Amino acid sequence: MNSIERVVTTLGGGTPDRVPVIAQVFGHAAGVGGESLALYLRDGKIFARCQIAALERYEYDAVFALMDASVETEAVGSTLAWHEGRYPVVASYALQDARHLGRLRQPDPERDGRMPELLRAARILREEVGDETLVVGCVLGPLTIAAQMLGMEKALYLAVDDPERFEAVLDFATSVAIAFGRAQLDAGVHLPVVFDPASSPAVVPPRYFREVELPRLRDLFSALRTGGSAASWLHIVGPVAPILPLFPEAGVEIANFDYPVDADEAMRALPETCLDGNIKSLSFVTASPEAIAREAGALIDAFSGRGRFILSSGCEIPLEAKEENVAAMVGAVRGSV
Amino acid sequence: MDLLVQLLMEGDRTGAVAEAERLVGAGYRKEELVSGGLEVAMKGLDSKCTLEEFNLLEIMVAGRAVMDVMKRLYPPGTNPPATGGTVVIATPEGDVHDLGKNILRFILTANGYRVVDCGRDCPVATIVEAAREEGARAVCVSGLITSVIPVVRQIRGSLAARGLDGVRVVAGGAALKQAVPADLDVDYVCDSAFDAAHWLDADRGADP
Repeated sequence: MNSIERVVTTLGGGTPDRVPVIAQVFGHAAGVGGESLALYLRDGKIFARCQIAALERYEYDAVFALMDASVETEAVGSTLAWHEGRYPVVASYALQDARHLGRLRQPDPERDGRMPELLRAARILREEVGDETLVVGCVLGPLTIAAQMLGMEKALYLAVDDPERFEAVLDFATSVAIAFGRAQLDAGVHLPVVFDPASSPAVVPPRYFREVELPRLRDLFSALRTGGSAASWLHIVGPVAPILPLFPEAGVEIANFDYPVDADEAMRALPETCLDGNIKSLSFVTASPEAIAREAGALIDAFSGRGRFILSSGCEIPLEAKEENVAAMVGAVRGSV
Repeated sequence: MDLLVQLLMEGDRTGAVAEAERLVGAGYRKEELVSGGLEVAMKGLDSKCTLEEFNLLEIMVAGRAVMDVMKRLYPPGTNPPATGGTVVIATPEGDVHDLGKNILRFILTANGYRVVDCGRDCPVATIVEAAREEGARAVCVSGLITSVIPVVRQIRGSLAARGLDGVRVVAGGAALKQAVPADLDVDYVCDSAFDAAHWLDADRGADP
C-alpha cells in the first residue's frame, strides 16, 4: 500500500498494511531542509523542498502545505512582525474596529499575502508526490480567523458584548476559509485540514462552539467536499473531550485529539470516526526516542481492535524537536497492523 | 453581597460596578467588598473551572468585571489590599502571546496579590530586575510556545545571581504546562491561573 491507500483504507474502517503515521511537521521541516524559518515561510519553492526533505528523512504518510496561523489574516490586511527562528505574529490587526468589517474585502488566494506562495508550494508538493503520499493543505476555522483578524482578547469580548456583529465577522471568516481551501484543492492538495485552536474548550465554552462555530464548520467542510476534498479533517487542540461528540454534525471524518484527552475517552466520544493523535508535542523536545516509541506503541495497541486510527502528535511537532524523536514515532508503526 | 458575586461571575461589568457603588453607599468598607465579593466570585469561578470547564471566554468576561470594580474601588494612586505580597508576571522573551498572563494578573489581583506586570516578549534580566526592585516573593511566567523553554530555564539562576534565591518561580500556559518543574528549573508548573494562585496561597501558608 502507498500512503494514500493506507489512509483511505483506514478511513473506511478497513485493515491497512500498517497504521498510518502523520507527523505534524510544519516549521520543523525548515530545519530538516537546512533553511531559515523565515525563508521557508515566505517562499513556496523552498517550503516545498523542505517538506519533501522531511518526508524523505522520516518517511511518514503525509506532507503539509501549511505555513502558520497568520496566512489568512495577513491576506485580509493584518501586518506581521517577523523574528528570526520564530513564526510571525500579528503586529497590527486587519480589523481594528469590528464596525469597519464592510471596509475589508475578501482576499484573493492567487494574489494576497503569502497565499500565492502556499498555493505554489501545494502545486510543487503534489507534482513531487503525486498520489503516493497525502498532500494536506490547511485553512483556519472561522473562529480562529476572526481571532487573528481582531486579536483574541477583542474577539472574545466582542463575542459577548455584540454577538451579532461578531457573527458577521465569523461569516466573513468562513468565506475566507472556503475560498482559500478551494484554491488549495485546485492547486493539488488532497484535503485541507481545518485548524481551529480558538474553538478549543480551553477558549470558548462547548455550548458556544455548538451554537456558533459548528454550523460554520459544517458549511466550510461541505464547501471543501464540493471542491474535491478527499476527507474532512478537523484539528482542535487542548481538552476537546466535551466537543468531540459534536464533530460528526459538521461532517468531520478525521478528528485530531490532543494529549489532554486519552485514547479511550476519544474512542468513546467518536466510536465511528477516524482519530489522529495524540503524543504530547513537548515530548518531541524533552523526551527520549525510547519514551516516544513506548508512547506510540501504547497508542497503536489501544486502537488495535478498533482501527480508524492515524498515529500522530496531539499538536504541532515543535520547531526545536529532536529529529530522533520524530523518527521514533514513525518507526513505531513498522510492523503494526 | 450575593448580588455582587452573581454579577461578577456573570461578567456583568456595568451591573457589578453599580452594585459595588450601592454597597459602599450602604456603608460597606472597600476591603469587605474585596473579601466578601471579589474574592468569593473568583473562588466560585475557580471551583467551576475544573480542567474541562475552564475557558478563556467566561474567565475573561468575569475578570473584566472584577477589574472594573477594583478600579472603581481603588482609583489610580490608591492601593488595593495586597495581603499575598508582590508577584512579578511576564510572558518570556520569544513569546508575544499574553492572554494567559493577563488572566493571571486579574486572578492574582482579585486574590489579594500586588501584581507587577512586565509585559510580553520580556527578557529575563527585566523580570529579575523587577523582582529585585519590587521585593517580589514570586515570579510567574506564561508561555504559549515551546521555544521559550530555554528562556524560562534561565530565570532561577539569574535570580540567584542577584541574591534572590528565595523568590519562587512558577510557569504555566499552553506550552509550559506540558512540562514538569525539572524541565524548566522552576518551583511549580501550573495547569491554570487559578492553580497558580492556589500554589502561591499554599506557599505562603494561607488557606488555599
